[in-house]
Formats: sequence, structure tokens, C-alpha cells
Amino acid sequence: MSNNSANILDIKNIEVRYDNVILALHDVSLKVPKGKVVALLGANGAGKSTTLKAVSTMLASERGKVTNGSIEYDGNAIDKQTPSQMVGLGMVQVLEGRRCFGHLTVEENIISGAYSRKLSKGDINQELEKIYTYFIRLKERRKSQAAFTSGGEQQMIAVARAMMAKPKMLLLDEPTMGLAPQLVAEIFNIVKELNTKEGVSILLAEQNTNVALKNSDYGYIIETGRVMLDGTAESLLNDDKVKELYLGISKKGRKNFRDVLYEENLNKKSN
Amino acid sequence: MVDELLFFMEVLVGGLLAGTMYSLVALGFVLIFKASATFNFSQGAMVFFSVLAFCGFMQDFNIPFVLAFILAALLMVVVGLCTERLVLRPLMNASEDTVLMATIGLGYVLEGLAQAAWGVEVRRLDLGIGDFPVPWIADNLKLFISALDITAGLVAAIMIIGLFLLFKYTKIGLGLRAVADDAGAASSIGIPLKHIMLLVWSAAGVVALVAGCMWGARAGVQFALVDLALKALPVLIIGGFSSIPGAIIGGLIIGAVEKVLEVYIGPFFGGAIEGWAPYVLAIFFLLYRPEGLFGEKIIRRV
Repeated sequence: MSNNSANILDIKNIEVRYDNVILALHDVSLKVPKGKVVALLGANGAGKSTTLKAVSTMLASERGKVTNGSIEYDGNAIDKQTPSQMVGLGMVQVLEGRRCFGHLTVEENIISGAYSRKLSKGDINQELEKIYTYFIRLKERRKSQAAFTSGGEQQMIAVARAMMAKPKMLLLDEPTMGLAPQLVAEIFNIVKELNTKEGVSILLAEQNTNVALKNSDYGYIIETGRVMLDGTAESLLNDDKVKELYLGISKKGRKNFRDVLYEENLNKKSN
Repeated sequence: MVDELLFFMEVLVGGLLAGTMYSLVALGFVLIFKASATFNFSQGAMVFFSVLAFCGFMQDFNIPFVLAFILAALLMVVVGLCTERLVLRPLMNASEDTVLMATIGLGYVLEGLAQAAWGVEVRRLDLGIGDFPVPWIADNLKLFISALDITAGLVAAIMIIGLFLLFKYTKIGLGLRAVADDAGAASSIGIPLKHIMLLVWSAAGVVALVAGCMWGARAGVQFALVDLALKALPVLIIGGFSSIPGAIIGGLIIGAVEKVLEVYIGPFFGGAIEGWAPYVLAIFFLLYRPEGLFGEKIIRRV
């Protein structure tokens, strides 16, 4: 299990189909360097969630399949693993929409994240206390039923629960969906903290391009199942096309990368 | 007047205690429903299969009572194991309806296996507990209550406490509750669904064995036990499909209501209304409280 390469995750040209028919990803390649935060950006239906689920092997439960290309995690190919095996290898996905266990208390939710680890009661409490240092808000609400906590708190529960599995890598699927700007900042602060203090590598799917890039090292922009552009977070933030299409600083009426590429091709031909 | 009141009490208590036997059957359904959101149509067959095996061990192989019970319980764990491996795992990502149909098939397989192995004749099961009024209670309280009913009540109480402790305070219990809430999220954090499935099917098997012993002692160990499990349906509708306390209370309500109605209203219908009265009650619940008394409401924040 020694992995000397600098990347904890290396996705090479994957193609994903649902029900053997519906082509969700055409060709996605991306790398997550160890200890870095990488943002996967794109609109609804671009293939962000599908990419994350391909990595965590959660695709199977939605009748999806990687039909081409390869995924390498920590130096080993991923193909036949089950989601719980992936968790054992240190890869945990925080699903879109938080997905807390509504009838369990906040604390039970978080503890459930340690299920795959063989820990004594004392160890669990110790880990729990450590987790609470990142999620102070949750400690106050530890005895509440999770379904009755706010959206921001539920997102924190979902991340805290994933952290209890002691991941080397976290996959966050739209962690700020539907949250107020202040909470978005709070969530991202925690994510950054987990990244720097716990050394967790992070791949996060977001629609909130601006905030995501400001908190990431590297970014990929995907559209209709293809990577359209990638670069360091800084370069993407300053890229004219990204500004226009994703940050809403628009001069022309172009809506996506396909339009941009089409126009560029036209210009080339006319020259 | 006092005599009438005593008679009513007797009917009521008898009904409540008989209801615990329904509760025991319903308990098996709840366990599986919690984990896989599927109504397990093979639960009745599991009752029949387990208690027939128990009788077979005792009567055909002369194995002592306790050992035979343990063997039958182990057999049910093996059945749970095979069910997980051969039926549920291949259907892991299939829809709930598919799993539902599979449980119907599983029921037929179990019924067939049981009869192929142990024969088709009705067997007598003697638990050493008579199905006649306890003299002490008859003398002192002037109530005629069957010893078997009282035993069933005690057994149901013990099982309920045991299951409650298992779910509330153990790791696998936490896993089960997590899966019951959101199986996808549970697998995303590494809770292996197959362990949970194995647990609930084995537990449901053992519960089926206990229920089968109680019913077998009363009515004989026979094929009719399979259909008896259907009585659990109104119990579950009233109690809630996903609630263990619900299964118990639902069973008590069905037991009490059907006996009281039978005695006091039955004559107006020419008797034998206990067969259908529970279903009428269930229809009212479906109309006015579809999640049952204790079923988990879908919590939605607004």
C-alpha cells in the first residue's frame, strides 16, 4: 500500500453510464494531490456527483458503472470495492443533501461514522471530543434529534460523521447547498481547518464557484460530462471565461463552454 | 353486576395476553421492515419452519428440550445467513418491490423444505405449560386466565426488553438504526449492509421460533401457522411498521378488541367476527393514522 506518487487520487479518462445506457460522464480526468483541496465545479447535471460516486464506488447502488478509464486511489486501482471497503481504505464521501440519520441524535449520528473502526468506548469518546473542537455548535446540540437541527448543522453533522471514520480523503458533494452566505463561510472554514490540521485531502463538488475556488488549491470545471478547463484556483478565478460563465461577470450572452469553444472555432476558421 | 364485570375483565385480560402472541409474530416483521423497508412475506413460513424443526429435533431425534431449542435457533441463524447470501445480496441494488416478491418466493421455499424434512402431519408441541386457567388466579381473583397466555405475555416482555437494549446500546444496534433511517448514507460511512441484514434476519428467525412455540403449543404445529402470521398485518398497521413498541401495543389492541367484540357484538353477526374485526380496525387506522400509533413519522423541517 505504499504510494510514492504525489497524488492521492488519479482519475484517468473515465466514462460512466447509468443502466448501461445513459451516458453521464464522457471523459473525465482529474488528480487530487496529497493534502490539497480540489474543487470540481459545474452546473446541475454536469456530472459532479457522478464523478464523486464513481470514486467512492457508490455508483453501483444507483445502477451506474464506470465503463471506461481508470481510477487510482492511494496507488491502487478502484474497481471491485464496496463503499464500506473504501471507507476502510480511508475514503469517505459526504453525500449531497447531508443525509443525516434523522431519528438518531446528533451525537449518535457522529458516532455512527466510527462504525468501520474497531474502537473502544473510551477511544470513541476521545475522538468525539476532538471532532467537537472543529464543530463547536454540534456539541451544544449533541442530544437533539438530527432531523430537527438546521440545514447548516446537518451539514456539519454529515462532515463530522465522515471525519469519525478517520479519512485520508474526503469527497464533499455540494456542502453549501441551500445555506446562507454566513454558514457557507463557516462550513468552508471548517473544511479548510480539517485539511490543514488533520491533513485530509479533499475533493469537493460545488456550484458556488467563487467561494469554492477561494478555498481550494486547484479546480476543474466540467460540463455535460467532460472536463472543460482546469488550473490552479487562482488562475481559474482570474480566467475571463470562468468569470463570464461561472462568476456572473458577463459581457456577452454566452452560457457555457460549448458556446465559447464554438465561437473560438468560428474565429479560427474565418482567420 | 360484579359477575358481569369479572367476566368482562376475564375477556379483556385473556384478549390482551392472547394479543402478545400476535405481538411476537409482528415483532419479526418489524425487525426486517426496519432494515430493508420490506414487508417480509416469508415471516409466516419462518414461524412454521422454525417450530417444525424444533418439534422434529425433539420428537424424531429425542434431543432434550433446551438443546433442541438452541439447535432450532441456530438453524434460524443459518437460514438468515443463507437468505442474506442467496437472496438479499444479489438483490442489493434492486427496488424494494423486487425484494418484496423475493420474500414471497422465500416463503414457499421454506414451507416446502420444512415439510420435505419433517413431514406434513400436525405435531403436538408440549411446552410443559398447560393451556388451561391458572388455579391460583382463578381462586383468588376469580379470573380464568390461561397459563399459556401468561407465559406468552412474559416471553414477549423479555424479548422486547432484550431487543430494545440491543438496538439502543450496542454498536450493531446503532448501525441498524442508521440503516433504517438512510441505507445509502449508512453505506457511505462504511456501515456494511450485509452485517445488518444478517443480524435482522437471524433475529427475526429466532423471534419466529419463539412465536411458533407459543402458537404451536396452543394450536398444534401445522401448516396453518403460516396463515396465522397474516394476523400480524392489522397489528402492524395499528402499531406502525417500523416500531417495536408499536408491534407490542398493536398486538395487545388487536387481541383485546377481537375478543371483546367477539363476546359482546359477535352474537349480532352470528359469531366468528374475530376473524375480520381486526382488519376493520386496521382500515380505520389506514384512513386516519396511516403511520400507525408508533410508526416513525416522516420528519420534515419547514
